[in-house]
Amino acid sequence: MHDFLLYLFSGLTRGSMYALIALGYTLVYGVLQLINFAHSEVFMAGAFASFIVVHAIVGEGGDLPGWVVPLVFILGLFSGGLTGAAVAWGLERIAYRPLRKRGAPKLAFLISAIGMSFLLSALAGKLFNRFTNNQFPDYFNKDAIVFSIFGAEVRLIQLIIVGSAIVMMLFLDRLVSGTKLGRSIRGVAEDAPTAALMGINIDKTISRTFVIGGALGGAAGFLFGTAFVFSNIMGFLPGVKAFAAAVLGGIGNIRGAMVGGLLLGVIEVLIPALPFIGTKWTDVVAFVVLVLVLVFRPTGILGEKLGRAA
Amino acid sequence: MKSNVFSSPVFKRLLACLALGFALAIMVGPQQGTQQDYGLAFRQAVFAPRIFLFLGIGLLVFVLVTYWSKITPYFHRSGVAPLAVGLVTVVAAQTLLKWHDPTGDGKFHTVSDAAVNIDGLAPLAQVYFSWLAWPLLFVTVLLAGSAIVLEKRPIAWGAAVLAIAGAFIAPVAQSAYAATTTRIDHSLGAGSAVSGYLVLLGAAVTIAMSKQESADTKAFFGRVLTWRPGLPLAVLGLIVGTLGLASATWFSPSKTNATLTDTATFFTGKGLAPIAEAYLSFLGFILFGLTLIAAAAATYLRNKIVGWVAFALGLVSLYLTLNTMYLFSSAGASLKIDQASGPWQNLGSGGWMASAAFFLFAGAGFVVATADWKKAKTIIVNGLKVAAPKSSDHGGLFGNATATKTLLLVVFAAALFYPPTATSFWQAVLVTQIGIYVLLAIGLNVVVGWAGLLDLGFIAFYAIGSYATAYLVGSLPIKPPWGVISPMLAIPFAIAICLVAGVLLGGPTLRLRGDYLAIVTLGFGEIVRIVAINADGVTNSTRGPSPQVPHPVIDLGFIRFEFGLNQLQYWYLLLIIIVIVVVLFRALEESRTGRAWAAVREDEIAAQASGVNTFRIKLLAFAIGASTSGLAGVFFASDVGFFTPDNFILNNSILVVAYVVFGGMGSLPGAMAGAAVLTWLPEFLKDQVPAEDRQMWIGAVVLLMMIFRPGGLIPAKRRAAELHGYDIDEPLEGSAVPAGEGMGAKS
Repeated sequence: MHDFLLYLFSGLTRGSMYALIALGYTLVYGVLQLINFAHSEVFMAGAFASFIVVHAIVGEGGDLPGWVVPLVFILGLFSGGLTGAAVAWGLERIAYRPLRKRGAPKLAFLISAIGMSFLLSALAGKLFNRFTNNQFPDYFNKDAIVFSIFGAEVRLIQLIIVGSAIVMMLFLDRLVSGTKLGRSIRGVAEDAPTAALMGINIDKTISRTFVIGGALGGAAGFLFGTAFVFSNIMGFLPGVKAFAAAVLGGIGNIRGAMVGGLLLGVIEVLIPALPFIGTKWTDVVAFVVLVLVLVFRPTGILGEKLGRAA
Repeated sequence: MKSNVFSSPVFKRLLACLALGFALAIMVGPQQGTQQDYGLAFRQAVFAPRIFLFLGIGLLVFVLVTYWSKITPYFHRSGVAPLAVGLVTVVAAQTLLKWHDPTGDGKFHTVSDAAVNIDGLAPLAQVYFSWLAWPLLFVTVLLAGSAIVLEKRPIAWGAAVLAIAGAFIAPVAQSAYAATTTRIDHSLGAGSAVSGYLVLLGAAVTIAMSKQESADTKAFFGRVLTWRPGLPLAVLGLIVGTLGLASATWFSPSKTNATLTDTATFFTGKGLAPIAEAYLSFLGFILFGLTLIAAAAATYLRNKIVGWVAFALGLVSLYLTLNTMYLFSSAGASLKIDQASGPWQNLGSGGWMASAAFFLFAGAGFVVATADWKKAKTIIVNGLKVAAPKSSDHGGLFGNATATKTLLLVVFAAALFYPPTATSFWQAVLVTQIGIYVLLAIGLNVVVGWAGLLDLGFIAFYAIGSYATAYLVGSLPIKPPWGVISPMLAIPFAIAICLVAGVLLGGPTLRLRGDYLAIVTLGFGEIVRIVAINADGVTNSTRGPSPQVPHPVIDLGFIRFEFGLNQLQYWYLLLIIIVIVVVLFRALEESRTGRAWAAVREDEIAAQASGVNTFRIKLLAFAIGASTSGLAGVFFASDVGFFTPDNFILNNSILVVAYVVFGGMGSLPGAMAGAAVLTWLPEFLKDQVPAEDRQMWIGAVVLLMMIFRPGGLIPAKRRAAELHGYDIDEPLEGSAVPAGEGMGAKS
């Protein structure tokens, strides 16, 4: 029980980051029916930018007055989110909009996004560094035990990550279901030509969808970097996993992405923890589960309509 | 009304152009910071005075884009296109390419720095290398350009004279420089400069002679290629052959660079076979002359019989050339001349150039003999016979049968006779990168391009093919119970295994729609790779097959052929395989199955309603793609001998998809060209940019290609005809008013 809970907490932490990234995939898929392969670099950009901000404030870390820590953390989260949003906006302008205007075939978008992904990841390596073990400054005790259930400790960083992910997801859910922008996003996802006739500016809506997804991805980059390490190639694996999570939940479905992300995170930690499997099969487990789910539910756990999120 | 300057399209464009300059400045800027100073590279790139240069480039782009409509009329004047091509070629030759391999990094400026310091260098070369090269180019282009703008013909003739001078001086200077050293040189710089200058010459002559207001380059090429069938081949053969016979190296043991005549004196009275001796001293020239005359006559007279004569003469001469090369290289080795090492070794580029020339002459004869210019041109579209459109309508590349044949023959000549003259590094690249990935791209093109199934785990089948080969030849920890076999015999088994793997993966998953299939195949690719790592007892994990996969030996009793001596053998074998696969797949594309694939790709429900068994047809595409991939795996395994699961990472799967789409989805030549260009590019960039930045430039190239040519390098005709775009292909809102006009657009 103790071990199970430990693994569960760790899985939820991982899963909430997957969910945040998966939302970016799912939002874009909802409005464009395209996989944004460069989303993983949005995530990476969020980590680097928030690192620079945090590093500029706290330097190499050390003891900070208690009230500064949440402030720095929130600042980091926002800078990551803002950068992610900016990169995603630029991505749409450069790698998507020109192709849309030319009526390019669907795969061309995929390839232009892949090109952008290569470009951004290598550029970040060139501008900052190519070490794979960059760490955020140590400005609070990440491993402090907040409380324990049945003797299974919940670490501070786990609580923060899951908490901020939940806050952001609730915010997104309200945004999509309750605001005018959310209605236009759902409208474009449902039926773009009709939405256009209803006075929705499709270009702007698509652009804003990228920005929202990018903000979540960038913030996830900050969380990931704080919890683990970050580098210019950090985006690839979480990106693939988050994409899988989005598909698992039903791509294009916002709540599906949340469910899929959390589920994938938990499965990925729990199943390899079984005595006869072992952690070297982590990725295989994730993909086998994905394949099985898709074989039996071809459109993911929750189905695929973005409109259904409301 | 918003009428402020910041939201005007011009201002946005200015910002975008400046951002472009900024991005470029960062991309070519200095390398990374450290873990102590993360922003170092950024500051160095942005706060250096260079930034103004790049912002200037941004401004220039802005001006160009803004005044585009004022500039474009000049673009249609005659001679602009060749002028641009020639300029780019010469500039590329003088900045990127190697001019002399043994000298430093071999680039033009390095060679010219070295040349200036050589005392005994011919004065012409001295002048060329010390200052003439760049001014000559710029004055030539300047003259041609002003002739275009001012419409003054005499100026263009001046440019033509200068272009001839450039085309003459560049190789002379280079060979004068190369003659001062005795090292082997494979450089292409001077040759590229010559071709660039020849294009410039063409531009200048066009400008001077053209009577038309605007140029139609495509129609021009169409006319040149079809005016006299085979003429381009004969001309190309003449150029290549003359260079080969007159100035290129035929025999180059460690210290000599002997041309044809030198080689002849070298071997006189050394007991060389009489036929080879005759070839070296006079027969080669005679054959060249005779074949040239035959090919030229056939081309000019359009006479089929003369065409066959040229064809036969070309083939015989080709055989004699190769035979001579074999004879004198083995004689050189047995006489131990200057460390000559064996048959087919120590050959310079001359013999291969002569072979290429004879091949091209034979090709010219063949084209003439099989050309079909009497018959009215009709083509079959959707089962109906319709009049063929003019060649110029077809985008030029594969406009009509004659042009297609001509291009194919040139490609074949290059594929057959260029590799032996390349360095061993490039030979390895040709086989292990270009050749194998071309094969993979051909296979994936069936899945992605024809059947429209996005497969992001294609490398998995390649891995399965490689491991199957390793298993069958006994290089894995578990041995096959029936004993080991040769890698060549493994081909059918590996293909069959991959076919089964394709069916096993496709069976349960092909009912999934587009993007779901993508993630499932991606997952499959990762599963295969991780299994290869983890199943230590079966695959030997990351240590790779041990002992190495052996090179095949073909032993037919009377003839024994051993692979693995060098990469060339694999190259020719791969070439044969690729040709066979391409021929088969072309037939497949035109067949009922190919049409069924197109139907499924465009509209699965409609296809099903029309009686296509969509599941089976998709499975077939999957299986065919998988088995092609397995074939590539056999090659890979037996060529490199040693591989690890790291050769089969997800990134490679994504890259193969990128090759296919970059080249042109659904187009066989496109997929091949895409794979060839994108596998060649990183190796080429090795000499141009820091190794870590290659990925960045490749990303940029792919991105630009997709933005400006979303159909790919050589778009598929069928797709272009059938598929006009994407669902939201028009800007839906505000399309009644063009962008940048209407209310509020002007400040």
